[in-house]
Amino acid sequence: MKRISMFSAALVFAAMVTGSAFGANPLPFPANQVKEVFIAAQTVTTDGAMSSWFAPSSTVVFRAYAVDPASHKVVAPTAVKYFYVTIPNQPNVKLKFAATAPGASTGLPWTGTWTVPATYPTGVVGFRILIQLKDKGKTLKGQFVQMPVATAQLNIDPTAPAAFAPSVPAGSAGAGSSANPLNVSLYVDTVNGTRPAAAAPRAIGCSQTNVYKRGEQLVLRTWGTDLSTTDVLSSDNVNTAHFSIAGQPDVVLNWGAHGVVGSQVFFWSNAWNIPSDYPLGETTIHVVFTLESGKTGTYDYTVNIIP
Amino acid sequence: MSRLRTSILAAIVVALVAAAGALALPSKTVVFSGTFTGQSSVKIDGTTATIAATGAGKSTIGAGKIIGNGTGDSSQQPCVPFGGTGTITGTGGTITFKLASGASGCGDEGGHTFAITAHLTVLKVTGKLAKAKGTLKLTGVYNHDDGSFSVKVSGNLTKPK
Repeated sequence: MKRISMFSAALVFAAMVTGSAFGANPLPFPANQVKEVFIAAQTVTTDGAMSSWFAPSSTVVFRAYAVDPASHKVVAPTAVKYFYVTIPNQPNVKLKFAATAPGASTGLPWTGTWTVPATYPTGVVGFRILIQLKDKGKTLKGQFVQMPVATAQLNIDPTAPAAFAPSVPAGSAGAGSSANPLNVSLYVDTVNGTRPAAAAPRAIGCSQTNVYKRGEQLVLRTWGTDLSTTDVLSSDNVNTAHFSIAGQPDVVLNWGAHGVVGSQVFFWSNAWNIPSDYPLGETTIHVVFTLESGKTGTYDYTVNIIP
Repeated sequence: MSRLRTSILAAIVVALVAAAGALALPSKTVVFSGTFTGQSSVKIDGTTATIAATGAGKSTIGAGKIIGNGTGDSSQQPCVPFGGTGTITGTGGTITFKLASGASGCGDEGGHTFAITAHLTVLKVTGKLAKAKGTLKLTGVYNHDDGSFSVKVSGNLTKPK
């Protein structure tokens, strides 16, 4: 039921930002167009380790950045009227701008923490993140929901496995530190692949993480918008998309449907099998989109490789 | 001698004019777009998927249909590369094409829904866009459960004036 509620929220969001009706085929996530303020957000532990599974009484850190669709620039603290997380049956969690706060980074500098009540129901948490900008006459709002793939959404479960650690500072991951106008706004995350070539599968496949053991399978997931048209990046307007990792062949990003049939959405993804001898420590994944218009968009995403 | 020199010069001038004409043939760009929906049959024998698709819709050359036939390598997952040939017909003509390398259908985790991306190399055009050349992009969705598909075709063609 929670899963259905979450997808319903995504549908409402999509209808809100596009005003369009859904057809029989899956739509791009979150919609064909995003005309309002773009938000990218992740859920992490207080040390910055990404996770989509938390136990009751643990602390979830939401971290985010946003892009103004009018100026094409990252939203600055002075421009924000409100920016908060709304969680079912919980007080709102206000996001504060502090790149050095626990779990934050220069690229995802807005954070807020939520201590999960001991009695909070098990299952997917249909949270949303809402923003409104201070503007001159126009109402610029935005909303974030997670892609409707249950294992990679925020889940509360007493048996939630501990997030792999240690994390590494996310650094400039995200575009939150950019002062220049952007061509595209991007959301990027990573989940553990269910078919690791040289490591044991994790207890929960396709859950969010940014810490990997050698031999595991890293699956990068991304979506974004062309800020000049507000169209979501899809096979229609993208010429090539890939990610690069030092010392490894480039990995082409595939445009495909994901999730449970009937509630599928399209986004970009592909897997990287981490070699058993890959150097330990921080590694940057450089995501590149080249649009049919010739414009490009990039995103540097950081993961930690552990033994 | 003078007459010979004049003849050679005249021949050179004629050749240059002809060459210049060939290089600068007037042409115009035609923006092509179309959308089609239809049914596709995919028969898998070993790792070879034999594909036959027919859809109806509308494009720059009018109401009509798209037909495609080809094969794919189903051993490659999640994106199945495929190739083949086809036609787009409309009330205003016919475009015959072949799929450029790189065409693929990327499936979901269960192999139900495939995102189709392909480039169509135009081989021959008849009708109102006769002699047009170029490459068109095809994107869309194929549902392996019921065989239905919907695609968009778009791009610029160059046509002699």
